[in-house]
Amino acid sequence: MSTIRPRKQKKLRRERMVKISLYVLGFAVSFLFVFPYIWMFACSFRSTEEILTAPLRLWPEQFDFTAYQDILELGGISLWTYSINSFFYTLTSTLLTVLVTAFGAYALTRKPKLPGFRLLRSGFLLTIMYPYMLLVIPVYLVMYYIGLLGSMWGIILFLSVGSIQFFMFEQFFKSIPAEIIDAAVIDGASETQILFRVVLPIAAPIVGTVTLISFLLNWAQWFPVLVISRTPGTYSLPVALLSMNSELGTNFQGIMALATITTLPVTIVFLLTQRRVMEGMAAGAVKG
Amino acid sequence: MHALNPAMMWKHRVFYLFVIPFALLTVVFGLWPIVLSVQVSLTESYTALQPDPTYVGFDNYLKIFADSRFLHSLYKTLEYTALSVVFNVSFALVYALFLSSKHVKRLGTVFRLAIFLPVITPDIAGYIVWKWMYNQNFGAVNALLNALGLPEFGGIASTSTAMAAILIAELWKHSGFYVIIFLTNIMICDPHLEEAARVDGAGYWKRIWYVIIPQLRPAIMINSVYALIQFLKTFSVVVVMTKGGPNFETNYVSYYAYQLFDEARYGEATAMASTLFVLVIGLAYLVYWLNSRSDWR
Repeated sequence: MSTIRPRKQKKLRRERMVKISLYVLGFAVSFLFVFPYIWMFACSFRSTEEILTAPLRLWPEQFDFTAYQDILELGGISLWTYSINSFFYTLTSTLLTVLVTAFGAYALTRKPKLPGFRLLRSGFLLTIMYPYMLLVIPVYLVMYYIGLLGSMWGIILFLSVGSIQFFMFEQFFKSIPAEIIDAAVIDGASETQILFRVVLPIAAPIVGTVTLISFLLNWAQWFPVLVISRTPGTYSLPVALLSMNSELGTNFQGIMALATITTLPVTIVFLLTQRRVMEGMAAGAVKG
Repeated sequence: MHALNPAMMWKHRVFYLFVIPFALLTVVFGLWPIVLSVQVSLTESYTALQPDPTYVGFDNYLKIFADSRFLHSLYKTLEYTALSVVFNVSFALVYALFLSSKHVKRLGTVFRLAIFLPVITPDIAGYIVWKWMYNQNFGAVNALLNALGLPEFGGIASTSTAMAAILIAELWKHSGFYVIIFLTNIMICDPHLEEAARVDGAGYWKRIWYVIIPQLRPAIMINSVYALIQFLKTFSVVVVMTKGGPNFETNYVSYYAYQLFDEARYGEATAMASTLFVLVIGLAYLVYWLNSRSDWR
């Protein structure tokens, strides 16, 4: 009896040590991953001398908005134009992606054996495998041929098909029990009725998740915008940030300020919806 | 193959209606550009954009494979991809196992948020911040190493460290995605198997190695193929951070091809694109095939 208690205590103490060291490890890794954000945010408010004397400081000495005022106009174009472009591209292409991939994935999963459907699916998979950045180069030619070069709609249309979105919808439609749809068919419902009365009501959560993920992914898109644009007037925030990066003469704080502005909307959306986004992306990926 | 059956197609016309926008976008912005790209790769560059281009067969392919800079680029791409896949997938696996441990349950959400945040961050913004963190005067990286009394890190300025610098920035950006996939798969592992092993006296590490990891084999495969495709195509990070330098150390194929395109050498650029495409498909398939036959744990 007397030997058991110290041993048990020892085991408890050891377990607590393990727990504490694991938490320390978790915090250390998390801190390293979040550090670039904090640093970017802090630097956007600090003067050059302040940064040079204490490069690691995580909170600005004072909130100096000079850098933000400096970037109100970039390359002769207002920061508002870039921001409005970003929101316009992201919202419109998100709406289109959801509609286009939902209907597409629905048809392809409901009737995979219709002539041409399997071919279309293989063709789609092929386009995903193609190095995306190199696909955008010939897309320049395509845009030129169909007269959408330099057009905002060209950019939006290009952003409107996404692989992860397609797989998320496909995964979901495959998981609907066949009995539910068969019952509706026996009741004499038309295909449109089945879609709008049977499938859509249960698809609401997945539509929400795909919308969120498309918003986050399309916000970050920059290469198609850069390639299809003919003037900086149609640039989005990430592209404006990139062209600021390539400029000679460095406005370090200005770059950090623009990076903060570019990152903020998606960070907020993600923090509010994190669980759905992470689960949704994992589900879409596992299929692919 | 199904024979074309107009009556059946007409009966199911509503499905064709549903699929039209998706098919249109896939063809116009997916398949057509690929075909164009292959076609351009068979033409003389300066005639490529003319209505009646000069076809030169596989000349452009011969040209790029005789170009020592391209061979170097190809080699660097493969080296970078191999290292990135190994580091990303193994880090993600270890970290996902850590996050799924019962000891850190209470703060699991916070830890997961931290690691996933870079995945949804616009890549341009993330890589620009990293570029400046590596800066010798402003940067946080060397300031931190100095504070810890460690030697300086050359970052993107030195040929010997540029690849490592990019690899770290990309690990920061992408590993969260692989972690989440592993976590999802760990959650669907059969708890009875682990319980049975525990009853049989297997310790924590033994259970991880002999019970959990074998069940994660499909996830390891998916993540490896994903990472392989991802890193073979490495582009944004190079555009933002190194522009292929220093001394062509990070001049990966995507970036090199893009540069040639910029110089109006369309034929060679698209020949490189097709080569990379074949490589992506081939290697992805190889990993898939190796995994489905070998009997490793």
